[in-house]
Amino acid sequence: MARRDGVITLSTEPRKLTFEIFRYNPEDPQSAPHTDTFELDETPFMTLYIALNQIRETFDPGLQFDFACRSAICGSCGMMVNGRPALACRTLTGDLPENIQLYPLPAFKLVGDLSVDTGTWFREMSERTEAWIHERQPFDEGATEERMSDELADAIYENDRCIECGCCVASCGVANLDDAFLAGAGLNRVARFMLDPRDTRSDADWFDIVAGEQGVFGCLGMMACADVCPKELPLLDVYAYLRRKTLGARFVSEDDKKT
Amino acid sequence: MTQPAVSSAKRQLTHEIISGGSGLLLALFMWGHVILVGSILTGERGFDWVATMLEDYYIAQPAILAIFALFVIHAVYAARKVPAQLEERRRLQSLAKGLRNSGREHVPTRTKHSPFRPHLESMLWIWQVRTGFIILVLGSFHLVLIGIDIFTPLYGDITGLESISSTARVAAGLWIPYAVLLLCVEFHASVGLYRLAIKWGADLWLSRAAMHRIEQVIFWVVLAVGALTLVVLAGWVDPPLAFLLDGGGA
Amino acid sequence: MSGRLVTTDVLVIGGGLAGERCAIEAAAAGHDTLILSLVPPRRSHSCAAQGGMQAALASCAKAEGDSPLVHFLDTVRGSDWGADQEVANIFAKEAIVAVRELAHYGVPWTRVKGGKNHYFIKGDEVEIDEALENDGLITHRDFGGTAKWRACYAAAGTGHAALYAVDSEVVRLGITVRDRTEAVALVHDGSRCLGAVVRCLRTGSHFVVLAKATVIATGGYGRIYGQYTSNATINEGMGASIALDTGVVPLGNMEAVQFHPTTLVPSGILVTEGCRGDGGYLLDNNLERFMVKAEPEKQELASRDVVSRHMVQAIRDGTGVDSPYGPHLWLDIRHLGEEHLRTKLLEVWDICRDFVGRNPAEELIPVRPTQHYSMGGVRVNKDGQAYGLAGLFAVGEAACWDMHGFNRLGGNSLSETIVTGRLVGRRVAEFADGITLSADTSIGFDALAAAERRAEDWLTRTGNSRSIYDLRDAMGDIMMHKVGIFRNGEELAEAVEELGQLLDESDSAVLRCKDPGVNPELAFALRLKGMLRLAMTVAKGALARTESRGAHFRSDYPLRNDRDWLNRTLVRWGLDDGEPEFTYEPTGLIDLPPGYRGYGADERIEMTESLDDHNARVVDEQRRHGRLETTEDMGSRLDRDAWRAVTG
Ligand SMILES: Cc1cc2nc3c(=O)[nH]c(=O)nc-3n(C[C@H](O)[C@H](O)[C@H](O)COP(=O)(O)OP(=O)(O)OC[C@H]3O[C@@H](n4cnc5c(N)ncnc54)[C@H](O)[C@@H]3O)c2cc1C
Ligand code: HEM
Ligand code: HEM
Ligand code: SF4
Ligand code: F3S
Ligand code: FES
Repeated sequence: MARRDGVITLSTEPRKLTFEIFRYNPEDPQSAPHTDTFELDETPFMTLYIALNQIRETFDPGLQFDFACRSAICGSCGMMVNGRPALACRTLTGDLPENIQLYPLPAFKLVGDLSVDTGTWFREMSERTEAWIHERQPFDEGATEERMSDELADAIYENDRCIECGCCVASCGVANLDDAFLAGAGLNRVARFMLDPRDTRSDADWFDIVAGEQGVFGCLGMMACADVCPKELPLLDVYAYLRRKTLGARFVSEDDKKT
Repeated sequence: MTQPAVSSAKRQLTHEIISGGSGLLLALFMWGHVILVGSILTGERGFDWVATMLEDYYIAQPAILAIFALFVIHAVYAARKVPAQLEERRRLQSLAKGLRNSGREHVPTRTKHSPFRPHLESMLWIWQVRTGFIILVLGSFHLVLIGIDIFTPLYGDITGLESISSTARVAAGLWIPYAVLLLCVEFHASVGLYRLAIKWGADLWLSRAAMHRIEQVIFWVVLAVGALTLVVLAGWVDPPLAFLLDGGGA
Repeated sequence: MSGRLVTTDVLVIGGGLAGERCAIEAAAAGHDTLILSLVPPRRSHSCAAQGGMQAALASCAKAEGDSPLVHFLDTVRGSDWGADQEVANIFAKEAIVAVRELAHYGVPWTRVKGGKNHYFIKGDEVEIDEALENDGLITHRDFGGTAKWRACYAAAGTGHAALYAVDSEVVRLGITVRDRTEAVALVHDGSRCLGAVVRCLRTGSHFVVLAKATVIATGGYGRIYGQYTSNATINEGMGASIALDTGVVPLGNMEAVQFHPTTLVPSGILVTEGCRGDGGYLLDNNLERFMVKAEPEKQELASRDVVSRHMVQAIRDGTGVDSPYGPHLWLDIRHLGEEHLRTKLLEVWDICRDFVGRNPAEELIPVRPTQHYSMGGVRVNKDGQAYGLAGLFAVGEAACWDMHGFNRLGGNSLSETIVTGRLVGRRVAEFADGITLSADTSIGFDALAAAERRAEDWLTRTGNSRSIYDLRDAMGDIMMHKVGIFRNGEELAEAVEELGQLLDESDSAVLRCKDPGVNPELAFALRLKGMLRLAMTVAKGALARTESRGAHFRSDYPLRNDRDWLNRTLVRWGLDDGEPEFTYEPTGLIDLPPGYRGYGADERIEMTESLDDHNARVVDEQRRHGRLETTEDMGSRLDRDAWRAVTG
């Protein structure tokens, strides 16, 4: 098919793709969880974004799924593609076998069919980890920006790249059993702010969040998060860093007040 | 639901250190164990010499107690992380299976953070739990057996650990549980060490792919030595390293 | 009625950069603030902007001598004198503060590295010494149409980093965000906006939000070009649409639509200009470089609009490459070599791999020009206050504040979002301070009932019809092919005609899905008419504007006409009115006289009126067109003649 020898010939014999798609509309009392099957002729450059829209527009106008940017940037379209969380918009059908199974991301609340509520999960995570800069001073309109080395800016950006797609959460066994577990996205966010010198929280301040029950020690090292992250964030490096930081903070800090 | 009391966070850290640390010690011990029991490869003389040394200098007695304690501690602390409910375990398993199977066709990633292979580690974790339970059963049995061997001399009976009795019971059928235990332990320990290394030092030392390869090499090498030891104990093969001890004399 | 009525001080419709920045200002002033968004805010299209954000911080070597004044000049020239110059001036000054404030919120801006640096300039590697005293300041990169390097950026994810930082501030302030909600109508009494009717995209139910002040921050309307857009699927222009529906709020310059030459087929994802900058070619179906014939001088490196026009011409001439997604052309960067592609053009490399499964070092990339930015939108005064309805504000791409005129410069729209967010947010807060929430909820419930009726109507209608998706595709084709890059009277008239038919059809179209809940087909159906109406205002506006200005190019009127068309199109069109009503207001007070942009054609029809005469009538005329009074007098923030200091 579109997988492409020759520069110009886009397609030879188109494949017939079979989609097995999870269906359930919680708003409809008649609806019960099941799967529906659809068949589609593969076209060149077909992605799951194209395929799903075709299915909705030609076969089943009630099919629910989420896309926004359709360019792997906004994180809307995570779903289980043949058992693995992936961004549907950038998944080429040409990379998949003829039988394609699509399920909603587990670990999140189902909105309907392939659509899940990641927004609530991420907002709650942000609130819990207080994922914002805890700054020293209010903003001074007249002042030049605080300086920062380009290397540090780069390092922060590296952690800031997470698009909150939820793939890491969905792939993680722990997060699937405990909705409060911070998982890759949450721990990565924590590390991002720890790294940022503009944030004045000390390691001891972070201790409870990082080491708490839902923090890095909830992680069993299953490593799925790092394997499925579409932005290929170095999540495992982040956990290792957090674990050691915690160890340091535990034995350095005298912060026993709250016990 | 989440009121992270400081004590809770500290407790988490302590638990992690206990379960990881006990695992690490046990794994290191098992390498030593391979070498010690592997002394049978040099023949019965070698084995008996090692056993006698350990017993005579009172190394074996406290060691087995310490190992037994570690064993129990590790089992208790590590098992805490195993989901209690069957339904939860099923969910985990189907998730891990899906991840393992899908990776065969669809591997969209390409950098050092994500090795170019199906995702295995979730399934490996489940196998760690399974092997852990097998180890718990067979290992306890083994430790009791060996414990009896080691402690009887203290009550006057002269026979402690001895190649004659060891080989005899292995040949008589104990090789079956030992083979299972060996496989489980080596798998569990090598994967455990790999996981431990990633957990604490993923960004420090070697890439994950490299660590994974090292893990596999360790697994196969130790398994091979262990297996050879076992067949020698069972008497199916002559000690291959016997020349080491014989050589000087002959 | 509980759950069906929500009250708040400030309602912000849209959780992109503009909406959230505005909400922060209102909430910081102590107002109860509610943000609505189709998607979790961080998924708004602002996150897709990669390039940069213009602000004249002048901190790197190639930005030396830059100032808000130079930025102002670039912006006005870029707009082809379609911009409101006072607004452009406010913008250029405030951009500096707004960008620094983002640093305060945590954006990891790329910084100046003192000492020797290597840059790529027009394909050549050059070494530039950055002053050590600038080390660690926010640095700049080069963008088209600017005299200096001015675009501040955070690696390859400026919009993403900015949106995340701003949203974290929203979380910090505890501002309520209701994602998966859609404003489907404004609540108003003809002179004051009282809030909006909202459809919940989780349950499909409607509720009404009553607010002291309402802000539209819904982004662009690129999706009226169907699949031919670089915009996200959620950029359907609903904010502009619900404002238009009121009949009292005008939209400004809807025909001002920007296109980008190389977006990926079929998805429309942007492929950076850097490909051509570094030596990439465009090929037709015979694998010939048609740009060599068309523009012997500049070839592929002619300006965006020129290249787009030639590409469309090639497709019309039948030398496009057929595909199931319509004709396209090829972008050829194979000769640049894998090494170059995997370093200097890594994002392109990834995009090709991810979205068309092609290796650009060995294979051709399918591209075509598409819609990229909406200069038009809800017409507001310099305070961001919509014309015609007190209490309604608009910010960001959804608004026509009007600093972009007929052509927006790259990097100016991201800064616009935060500049207007700050500035208008303050005005919103002041406005909300001054009034109390009306106790009369009946207007709100009437509007709610009307919205529910519209939805019900779709669900009960039976019979046979074209699918609403067909109608959408037909709209996209009409817009791209007849109201696109090249425009002419004949085709525009056809477009108006055909869009009219689609509008009629949409009134009797039938849904195939009647499921309760969100019902994605219904959700789209509810937008379809609004999108068609917006498309109509674009087509009609373009038909009426018999000149070429910025991105609006009429092949039958190829010159810019400052004599007759130095004005802004305003269109009003109540939901139940027959025809849209077009009027034209003066662009604004003019400080920099219309002239040559410095690029493109230097021919135009000159203004005949004197600047003084022109300026003398602006204030009153705009007021007559519905502009509400501003906090400070019009023109108070125009630094008259200051530009003379920087032009030679
Ligand atoms: C591919 C691409 C690259 C770009 N790159 C750059 C660049 O490098 N530099 C630059 O300056 N500009 C760039 N732009 C333009 C710039 O990104 C946008 O103009 C800007 O982000 C718009 O921000 P906004 O806040 O106005 O709207 P958006 O970010 O689009 O946000 C709109 C919000 O409104 C919500 N919404 C919409 N309708 C409704 C409704 N009916 N009810 C409730 N909520 C609603 C949406 O959910 C969303 O939250 C680029 C644009 C594109 C398409
Ligand atoms: C000789 C015996 C054993 C050895 C050498 C051993 C070794 C290890 C090691 C090195 C780890 C990794 C620790 C970590 O990742 O933090 C580990 C983890 C684990 N072990 Fe064992 N172990 C042994 C026995 C057992 C037993 C009897 C059980 C009983 C159930 C068990 C269950 C587990 C579990 C569930 C984990 C995963 C814990 C986690 O991920 O944190 N192990 N083991
Ligand atoms: C101090 C503690 C230990 C001592 C002294 C000890 C000693 C021995 C001895 C003497 C044998 C030879 C067979 C026999 O005599 O039955 C043996 C074999 C074996 N032991 Fe242990 N053991 C100890 C702990 C453990 C533990 C904790 C495990 C794993 C849970 C283990 C796993 C095995 C296995 C798998 C074999 C089979 C032989 C092989 O192939 O290596 N042992 N051990
Ligand atoms: S860490 Fe990766 S997988 Fe997880 S939400 Fe962020 S981008 Fe997605
Ligand atoms: S998958 Fe889960 S267990 Fe840890 S390594 Fe990743 S968070
Ligand atoms: S739609 Fe935005 S990431 Fe896929």
